[in-house]
Amino acid sequence: MIEAAMRHSAASALASLFAALSWHLGGDAGPPAPLTDEAIARLVEQARAGDTGARHMLYVQHVDRVFRTVRGMLRSDADAEDVTQDAMLTVLTSLHQYTPRAGARFAAWVTTIAVNTARRRFRRRRPELTATGELPDRPDHGADPADSLDRERRRRALLTALAELSERERMIVSLRYGAELNASEIGVATGIDPAAIRKTLERARARLGDRLEALLGSAGGMA
Amino acid sequence: MNDEELGGVWTVLHPTLGQHRRIDARVSAWLEAHDTSLAAEWSGLFRIAPVSALGLVAASAVSIATAPPLIWLARALI
Repeated sequence: MIEAAMRHSAASALASLFAALSWHLGGDAGPPAPLTDEAIARLVEQARAGDTGARHMLYVQHVDRVFRTVRGMLRSDADAEDVTQDAMLTVLTSLHQYTPRAGARFAAWVTTIAVNTARRRFRRRRPELTATGELPDRPDHGADPADSLDRERRRRALLTALAELSERERMIVSLRYGAELNASEIGVATGIDPAAIRKTLERARARLGDRLEALLGSAGGMA
Repeated sequence: MNDEELGGVWTVLHPTLGQHRRIDARVSAWLEAHDTSLAAEWSGLFRIAPVSALGLVAASAVSIATAPPLIWLARALI
């Protein structure tokens, strides 16, 4: 029984490592499969003990989540790249400060660091590009040009709709849909009452939905 | 638009391959620059400047050897 569990654990770790390597070497396997909370907790322990492979796995597991969260909060791709880089470095060099608590996911701790890093960027605001005023990054190699164009159109629509929300609303919806946190976890990350978060989410979701439908039209839905 | 649909919409904000590569490169470079152990630092110093490295080792040994009697003398004088 224990042997089978160990074999399963080793196999899933190897599969994740392979997926992560494939993704980072430009393969088309897509982002790595998310690990369970228990597997993440084991990686944190290993990384704290100096295992650089475990630290790399933690990075691969969280970097996309951090980017799509802060991209929703900030107004430019360049800011989102800088904040993701700073936040991930803070996470990886502060693992000894992380205290696992019952019901609190490691991802929520990572996201709190990302939010604080993004907030610091709000404070020393510099001249910004508008959400839609940037040249798009070159499409991924091998991607279907029609798919890339459609994705870019949907991306611009979402960023335009987000830019019309207040800073607080953008932060809350980004934490909900980018980081996939629940209202209680968002409350811990932001210091806002979870009941107020639920109300804000409801209002912002309706506004985003209406705006996206208007921007994309009924034929070009986001789903 | 419900909770699940909006969650699906958010996937368009995933970093592109180019953005991924830039972030990965900058994070890796920083970590590599700060991950070097003390032993590796000394070994690198010996390889690049053996005379200076030997001088530093000698100076460190002399300070370690002379510090306790000097501290004792300073305390006795005070």
